Amino acid sequence: MKKFRILSFLLVVMLLSLTACSGSSEQSSGKSSDDSEGKIELTFWNIWTDPSPQNKASLKQVEKFMKEHPNIVIKQQNIPHDQYKVKLKTQAAGKQLPDLIQVWPGAELKPLVDGGLVQPLDDIVSNWDSLITNKDYLKDYQISGKQYAIPANVTPTSVVYYDKDMLAKVGYNEFPKTYEEFKTLIKKLKDSGTIPIALGNKAQWVLQSSYISTIGDRLTGSDFLKSVLETGKKKFTDEKFIKAVGIIKELADMGAFNDDFNSIDNNQHRDLFISGDAAMMIDGAWSLGPVLEAAPNKHIGLALFPQVDGGLGDPTAVSAVTGTGIAINSELKGEKLKAAQEFLKAFYGEDYYKNLMKADILVPANIEPPADISPQLKEMAELTSKKIAPVYDATLPTEVTDIINAGLQEVTLGTMTPEQLAKKLQEAVDKQK
Amino acid sequence: MHLLSQKKWPILIGLAPAIIVYFLFAIIPIVISFYYSLMDWDGFTKMTFVGLANFKEVFNDPIFWQSLKNNLYVLAASVFGQVPIALFFALLLNRKLKGGKFFRTVGFMPVVISTVVISLVWGMMYNARIGLFNQFLKIIGLEQWAQNWLGDPKWAMVSVSITIIWQFVGLYLIIFLAALQNIPQEIYDASEIDGASGLKQTIYIVLPMIWDTIIVAVILCISGSLRTFDLIYVMTSGGPGHATEVMAMYMFDKTFSSTRYGYGSAISLCIFFFSLALIYISNLILRRKTV
Repeated sequence: MKKFRILSFLLVVMLLSLTACSGSSEQSSGKSSDDSEGKIELTFWNIWTDPSPQNKASLKQVEKFMKEHPNIVIKQQNIPHDQYKVKLKTQAAGKQLPDLIQVWPGAELKPLVDGGLVQPLDDIVSNWDSLITNKDYLKDYQISGKQYAIPANVTPTSVVYYDKDMLAKVGYNEFPKTYEEFKTLIKKLKDSGTIPIALGNKAQWVLQSSYISTIGDRLTGSDFLKSVLETGKKKFTDEKFIKAVGIIKELADMGAFNDDFNSIDNNQHRDLFISGDAAMMIDGAWSLGPVLEAAPNKHIGLALFPQVDGGLGDPTAVSAVTGTGIAINSELKGEKLKAAQEFLKAFYGEDYYKNLMKADILVPANIEPPADISPQLKEMAELTSKKIAPVYDATLPTEVTDIINAGLQEVTLGTMTPEQLAKKLQEAVDKQK
Repeated sequence: MHLLSQKKWPILIGLAPAIIVYFLFAIIPIVISFYYSLMDWDGFTKMTFVGLANFKEVFNDPIFWQSLKNNLYVLAASVFGQVPIALFFALLLNRKLKGGKFFRTVGFMPVVISTVVISLVWGMMYNARIGLFNQFLKIIGLEQWAQNWLGDPKWAMVSVSITIIWQFVGLYLIIFLAALQNIPQEIYDASEIDGASGLKQTIYIVLPMIWDTIIVAVILCISGSLRTFDLIYVMTSGGPGHATEVMAMYMFDKTFSSTRYGYGSAISLCIFFFSLALIYISNLILRRKTV
């Protein structure tokens, strides 16, 4: 009998300790300590886990800052991208964010601002006046006129890559300037038996990010999305937007894409272009590196989507999104806030942008490109530096983005008309208000 | 043994860890998601109470109904595809077949392969341009039968269902085989003496003997197909359009990609009640047959 009493007592103890674990030990990350000999400690979350050139340059920048400012300690947590976004959302819900937070522009940043979790940088933004001269680049991290982060890189999402030799074969030594000519080119390529444009839209964001963001801009002009979302003066049901969706439908209907474009992904469409099965592809700047690496002997031309008749947009504009911004936690005050601002000023310095350019990354800063960058990157930089248009998924609320992603796919299948999609989008926007 | 008859509380203590874990990870989340489902919440800003508005929206959401329809489609394919095929092969393998062990292993193989691998491989086989099926049809001259299997809304659900059937036949095959091997040899002998053999023996002796196992298999099938997520997520991610959207995936998208926790919770509760109802109904139907 006694034995059992002891046993059951032990069980209870074990149980209590088991349940107790979950209760305590949960207040780390968020708050930090100012002690340890007057040193200021700042916690910082970012996604710089894999050893890509950009991540290496960023980490180097943090180390450099700590060397130059011995009284400030940056305590980093490097978290892989997908997990980072989930962690950020859950910790934000529990108000346990670090002092410095890596943030993405537009729709990703907005909830953080609305929730009062980050504070604006307006006191220090003039620091970059001479470095980032094209103010378009700052817009992505602005919400209701306030600046929340500084971008480190620019990613054009919609560049036409073409095989110069294959276009020459059907009689084009230059990329067509208008949409009508572009269609003739597609027909000629199709008749010659090649896939005109490689597309892999299984994940549904490609038609939105790389196609409608720029094609829409050609027709509606760059202020359209802002006007739809903020003032409501324009609507998705505008004839110009419907026409832009119609262009995607037209391209799909005329067989401009590979037959299986809705069941392969964007890596597979890149392979189609690299292997020479397709003559063109419309993709983000992120594909430049992989294409150059896989097909160093291919004669690759870069172009922007051609001008469309009756469009309000500037034909030199390209949809681009900026990235790698760092926001400051709204709870920071006094000395720590000063330290955080100091860090941002030092981090986004000219040397950082130069290092990024050397790693084949386009930057928002107006600096002399280093002599040793690849010619294609130079070409890409020139092509995309004239005018920036917003990318749809970085501007629209996620709910609306989901609708346009799935909707564009349905339009290409013919199960939805451009008018229906426009109506659905406008309804979703109206509901957000 | 005398301990159990004397006092009840040691039993409770013994059960407590399991019950606590079950409550923490199964019951409480259901209650919490019921709470969330009454809220409008994006995970960042303040929750606002909206009453039953989320549920109202779910019931008026055509994509939700489409995903429910697809779930039922998967369910029908599983119950009427997986179970009969598995039963057929189990009966076949139960005879003293040469190489029976080999076929059993082959049949079970898909169950142990990771779903992601299966989805990727079948995705390639279904590919419209270079896929195995279309190439095969081309070779034998039936080019007009070739389809854009995963890219065409008409065929996408069929193609996905075929893969799902293929993936799980092995599991039920093993379950049925085990049940068949539990039938004592004497019963076969006796029935043979009475003149029942072949098909008659299967229908009147074997099937009734393993009927309980069949019910279990059907219920496993139903709950499995209501949870379908990974295979479709990798193969089509719900596309083209929403042609292969299933409830679990729609819930996931709404909750974590559109960050509408309230609406997502409302969908998951609908899935919960719907599954309960379905299992209850199927239990009713199948039980009646046993009598």
